[in-house]
Amino acid sequence: MPLPIASVKNSSKRRVISIAISSQKGGVGKTTLSINLAHAFARNGLNTLLVDADPQGSVGLSLTRQSRQLPGFYDFLADPSIPVERLIVPTRLETFSLVPAGQASEYEAGNGSSGSHLARVRSFLRSVAARHYDICLIDTAAGLFGVTNDIIASSSAIMIPQQAEPLGIRSVPKLLEGLNRLRIINPRLNVLGVCLTMIQHDLAESTEAASALRQLLPEAMLFQASIPRDEVFIRASTKGLPVGVLEEGKDAEAVFDSLRAEIQAKLEISRTTATYLPH
Amino acid sequence: MDSINQWLDPSEVRHLAERLLRPVSPARLSSTHPGFDSSFVGFTPNDAKPTEQQLVTSTAPAPLPPIASPSPSFSATAAPSPSRVQERMEIFRNWLSENFQATEVFLLDHEGKVIFDEGGHGRFHFMARNLALASQGSGNIRIKIGPATMLEIIPCEAPHGRIVLGALFPTALPADHIDTITELLAQTAAPA
Repeated sequence: MPLPIASVKNSSKRRVISIAISSQKGGVGKTTLSINLAHAFARNGLNTLLVDADPQGSVGLSLTRQSRQLPGFYDFLADPSIPVERLIVPTRLETFSLVPAGQASEYEAGNGSSGSHLARVRSFLRSVAARHYDICLIDTAAGLFGVTNDIIASSSAIMIPQQAEPLGIRSVPKLLEGLNRLRIINPRLNVLGVCLTMIQHDLAESTEAASALRQLLPEAMLFQASIPRDEVFIRASTKGLPVGVLEEGKDAEAVFDSLRAEIQAKLEISRTTATYLPH
Repeated sequence: MDSINQWLDPSEVRHLAERLLRPVSPARLSSTHPGFDSSFVGFTPNDAKPTEQQLVTSTAPAPLPPIASPSPSFSATAAPSPSRVQERMEIFRNWLSENFQATEVFLLDHEGKVIFDEGGHGRFHFMARNLALASQGSGNIRIKIGPATMLEIIPCEAPHGRIVLGALFPTALPADHIDTITELLAQTAAPA
């Protein structure tokens, strides 16, 4: 029987919940969501690892100045002799660590076909589980192919950020088709749902797109909380910080706390259909 | 709504989303990963004869569903793009699974690199690589890895070099089925 998050910390057998943050389109706020959601889990006391699996390395560029020199996730995929502990970068918050994308990312970008890194990705997640993490959030490259496919095929769950604009929403069927295919390979994959991002409440097209998506998808497929377009995110990433660390970022931080609570609820509700042991 | 709905089929989207929310059957969730645990049996001879019962129940496999011809078509020397190989392998994998109950299907290229994989079991890749190298042209190799699990390794000549298919089957496949699989694999790897 799989464990809900609340039980994870007390389990004698260590388990990690790996959540891929993936989208069909780029530029939908995936990295902002990943950083701030990971920060929300860490503030909640869960030992959290944020993995930058986007070859553009945006998490590393946002949070660590040395990210261009640090080995990372793609180096682990390319070189089996690199241990996971060499990749982990601690932060000022004891429960929050990062794995940058690494130096092999440019080589790997767009090169790997699906399945070619599946064994290494699963080996990475097993190593993370052995290092007593409770949650591993993986910020993947956009699109369902290559290494991103292998990550989703190895993860416990997936969360899909979706920009509230008409063009992005037209790509939803393709994304759902791709996820249905991946679920054949990974039947344990728990689809947490779509999170609306970059909503502009003063723009009719944006709010209409958000409402269209809410009508289109089953209620359980959409997160209640949504992320507004806000300058505070740009200010936070300029300073290399999660938004909640800024004085003016408290409202935005509350959104990520709500998302974190929704994820915890979803994982507990669906515990009969998912297990969090890495493959 | 019109700016979105005229671009997609709402009922199809809902159907796809509902499928994702549907619980997966407990049988699929409880299946353990195959490997070399205490149930590992060992090698079986390459020319293992199927049992009488297998011969009786053995029927010709259904034909592979039509594989869309790529456009532009591949030349004999140019390697197909990874996404096309992936697409065709998914059709081939489904055909294998429907006709022979194949699971954990993977494909290695002529350098031993994994180009398709649904199981993520590095040990199988390692074993397939080594056995295909060692067998050099002597056909398929099978290894009994459990009481009812056979790892079948099928090398196949493709225009870009020898590729190696690996998959788990509940029983040893008869030779004519291996031939069919090899033939269709060659078509999948290099469509005309």
